[in-house]
Amino acid sequence: MGLFFNHQLPPNWTQESIKVIITIQMADNSDFQPKIVAFLCNWCSYAGADLAGISRIHYPPSIRVIRVPCSGRVDPFFILQALQQGADGVLVSGCHPGDCHYLTGNFVARRRFAVLNDLLAFCGIEPGRVTFAWVSASEGERFAQLVKEVTEKVRQLGPNKKLIKEIPQ
Amino acid sequence: MSRTELLRKRANELLSQGVVKLVLGYRAGAQDNVAQPFFATTPDQTAELIFDSTCSPNIANYLLKVKNIGRVAVIAKGCDSRSIVVLLQEKQIVRENLYILGVGCEGVVHNGEKSVTCKACQYPNPVIYDEMVDAPVEKTTPGPQVLKADDDFDRLTPDQRWQVLSADVARCIRCYACRQACPNCYCPVCFVDASTPQLLGKTHNISDNMVFHIIRLLHMAGRCVECGACHRACPMGIDLMRFNRRITKIVRERFDTSPGVDINSPPALTRFLPEDSQEFIK
Repeated sequence: MGLFFNHQLPPNWTQESIKVIITIQMADNSDFQPKIVAFLCNWCSYAGADLAGISRIHYPPSIRVIRVPCSGRVDPFFILQALQQGADGVLVSGCHPGDCHYLTGNFVARRRFAVLNDLLAFCGIEPGRVTFAWVSASEGERFAQLVKEVTEKVRQLGPNKKLIKEIPQ
Repeated sequence: MSRTELLRKRANELLSQGVVKLVLGYRAGAQDNVAQPFFATTPDQTAELIFDSTCSPNIANYLLKVKNIGRVAVIAKGCDSRSIVVLLQEKQIVRENLYILGVGCEGVVHNGEKSVTCKACQYPNPVIYDEMVDAPVEKTTPGPQVLKADDDFDRLTPDQRWQVLSADVARCIRCYACRQACPNCYCPVCFVDASTPQLLGKTHNISDNMVFHIIRLLHMAGRCVECGACHRACPMGIDLMRFNRRITKIVRERFDTSPGVDINSPPALTRFLPEDSQEFIK
């Protein structure tokens, strides 16, 4: 307090220390609320998300759900488009293998996602930016947990800067 | 008799005997280093046919343009024949309408040296043919090769990899020469041309460029035979084979299959096994 009465700035108000604080604040991603596009299969994961809601389980408000008939409907192009339009992360979720409403949709999707996953890693898109998961209709708890994990991971990675389409001003 | 002479002789016989309506091969191009595809319809025209190291375009691409005229003879080297297998598997052409004149290939020339794809070629001889013209060439590469450049690239961090690739892809002018050169790219409306709705931006923005190349590769997954026609067609000299080698490697390691080798084994992404690996799925 003595410093105030002497009309001097406290040590953390100097120009240098404020600059340091700004740098720390900007580097700190804890305030960053990522936007995550979630492609959820109608029969399992969407119902799982619904169950999480009905059961009043808390999870971060970071996901934007797009309901698809089957994980087999998810064209890798959708995932890349979401990243282009500014999503910080993408979550793709469908029925567990063997539980597909259309019998083999998620098996076919699985091969496609495997190739996409490896290719994105090759291109230098951070692992965790795009997440694949199997969530059944009865796994509300698991869905909430999954969203928590994915949000935390994307928060660590920071905003999507690589594939986002920025129009030059 | 030289290989070109043997080819001309057989093509002439096939046309004059009426076995085929047309012989699809190469003739000397306007540029010294690239032959052009040639459609010989009369026995006289077969005198123009050639086969040498300048015959770099993938001839299977032109097969799609003459698939409705009846039986066609095609002069196919190793990679061309693998593309033909892929097209047969995908029911784009009919085997009965084909007469494949197989030729062994010692590699084609690109920018004055042996093309990068040919240096590690595993299939210099056709995998499918009705008759071989001349003797098959000796196979030099035993198995899939890992190039040192690819190995070094793998050791980079994700950010470094992104920088290298985006610097390369940033030069893309989106002319789609790679698509035009590829026999696998036969969609009536390509995703880049779709306009209602427009799927991909038309700009050469790095994001659009990268997404174009990633999607092109995903469409090639399990189908690319690594002929290198796209790589040689690129006017900007983008290292497209780096991408193609990777997609082939991913498919080979994940699904243990090489495209265009066995006609009874359909493309990897059109089938599945219940026990496919899924360690990347939560």
